[in-house]
Amino acid sequence: MARVSDDDKGHSRSLVKAILLTLPMLLLTGFMLSGVGLPQERMQQVALTITYVFINGMFFLMMYTRRTNRYRSTLFVVYSLCFVISFISNLVETRGSMVLSHEDMVQGDTPFCHMVIPMVIIPAAFTRTIIFPGSMLEGFAAIGTMLVLWLGASIALGRAWCSWGCFYGGLDEGFSCIAKKPIIKNISKKWTYLPFAILLVIVLTSAASLSPTYCGWLCPFKAVTEFEEISSSTVLLQTIIFFSLFIGLVIILPILTKRRTQCGLFCPIGAFQSFTNKLNIFDVRIDPEKCSKCNLCSKVCPTFSVDSESIDAGKPRITCTKCGKCVDSCPKEAVSFHIKGTPIGLSHERARLLFVYPAFLFLSIMASGMVFGALERISLLVTTGSMIR
Amino acid sequence: MKGFLLGLASGSVCLAYCAPILVPYLLGEANKTRRNIVTLLCFLSGRLIGYSLFAVIAWLANVTLVQNLPNRTLVFGLIYTVLAILLILYGFGNPLRCLAKSAKSLGKWAFPGHRMLFPVALGLLTGLNVCPPFLLAFASAAEMESLWGCLMFFLTFFAGTSIYFIPLSGLGLLRRHDFLRPTGRLAAGVIGVYYLCLGLLAIKGSFN
Repeated sequence: MARVSDDDKGHSRSLVKAILLTLPMLLLTGFMLSGVGLPQERMQQVALTITYVFINGMFFLMMYTRRTNRYRSTLFVVYSLCFVISFISNLVETRGSMVLSHEDMVQGDTPFCHMVIPMVIIPAAFTRTIIFPGSMLEGFAAIGTMLVLWLGASIALGRAWCSWGCFYGGLDEGFSCIAKKPIIKNISKKWTYLPFAILLVIVLTSAASLSPTYCGWLCPFKAVTEFEEISSSTVLLQTIIFFSLFIGLVIILPILTKRRTQCGLFCPIGAFQSFTNKLNIFDVRIDPEKCSKCNLCSKVCPTFSVDSESIDAGKPRITCTKCGKCVDSCPKEAVSFHIKGTPIGLSHERARLLFVYPAFLFLSIMASGMVFGALERISLLVTTGSMIR
Repeated sequence: MKGFLLGLASGSVCLAYCAPILVPYLLGEANKTRRNIVTLLCFLSGRLIGYSLFAVIAWLANVTLVQNLPNRTLVFGLIYTVLAILLILYGFGNPLRCLAKSAKSLGKWAFPGHRMLFPVALGLLTGLNVCPPFLLAFASAAEMESLWGCLMFFLTFFAGTSIYFIPLSGLGLLRRHDFLRPTGRLAAGVIGVYYLCLGLLAIKGSFN
């Protein structure tokens, strides 16, 4: 068991209480991971055990130390890395490479990604037609599951999706943790509107060109998932854009700023998700009576959601992803998770627990399969020398 | 009448082509509805100039400009590029300040209405683009024998399509949302980058 640092000593709860609070998660994740039956192969059994222990270990530490972000962040980053490992391995295994051929594109043989959920759900609501450039028949159950998960998570957690569910967000979060101090400290507030601008651009250009502009031109994560075979100048330019955006926004800028620049300054789906923050009962509040205006919350916020204006207003901006970093870092305990409709400053820990249980359960639902899959691939690499079966 | 009906029939497509440029600009300016109507009129007048110019050039050049594919690709690639540069300057720089500085150096009296030049320029460059409704109109206008007939056809076509632009002036109602102004400006810049890519690809394509 990890020792609690001096900083955390004043906050930590008793070991027995922490174990009792972890019990529901142990049971839920146990049911979830063994739902389809325990694996027979020894290698898979080991991978499943490590996944189970790792996920619940993170939750136990969250309960024991009363700190949210550190352990969420660890699981979130591991989850994203595991997604990349298992997704690329699956692609290479089934298709031979990460490249989508022109024939695959024409036949609509493209996999579903949560980035297109808003694109799918809006026409479905208005015209009862699902428009998606891929095969819906073969993977309809998976697509349906993802839609239900997204809708449920959006209603229950709002934009917390971006810090507790998105399998891309952990990549720039991981890179943002590398440097000890930020090299670029001041970023103009103007740029925090860029995700909304890109969302507007996508809506307008997709309507004009009747094609998914984001997937075609702007998605940085094509670099770690799949991309079209370079067969023309247009595809070459698009591929250069994908890789440049990935290197710039997911690797270099997060290292230089210690912020999630892709999520905070670019992602249009995050911008769309921000509006769901209005729908759910959880938010983060800043108690003006306790706040000493040290601006530490503003300095550490990974998605640029806290600034002096929002501190004065007593709450972060609509783009808050409820990662808990500001809550953990506030020296005066002025920042807390909050349930809408209840007085600010009361029952900090109760509100945190009520939020953390569903949020962590959601993260563990999303992460468990990826972590298990990646561990399987890694063990395959160790034993056979290749990640591909 | 034929031009007007064609414009009326295909105006929504026309709007879809112009909206990516016009909507971010209107949001970026955050003006009242009345002021937006003036901006919209400036944009539409620029578009009208573009249409008329095209009609005249096409009539004078005996339609060769549009019939010759490499020429057409090059011309529209260049237009896209100029439009993109304007949008990038507007979105990420401060072209009004640049325009004001230029105007000052030339004599402020010479450009009393320089704020309106920008939407006119956007309208002109958008009007010179080949969107599907424009090609339809062009095919019909090519059948006209006289320049006057050709111009009248484009004028009525323009009137038919312009009806669809009227609701855009209602964006002024959103001006109380402060975040829409920087969002609109940045969106104009991003659209500019997108058009720059399309323009450069078109220019490259014309040499193949």
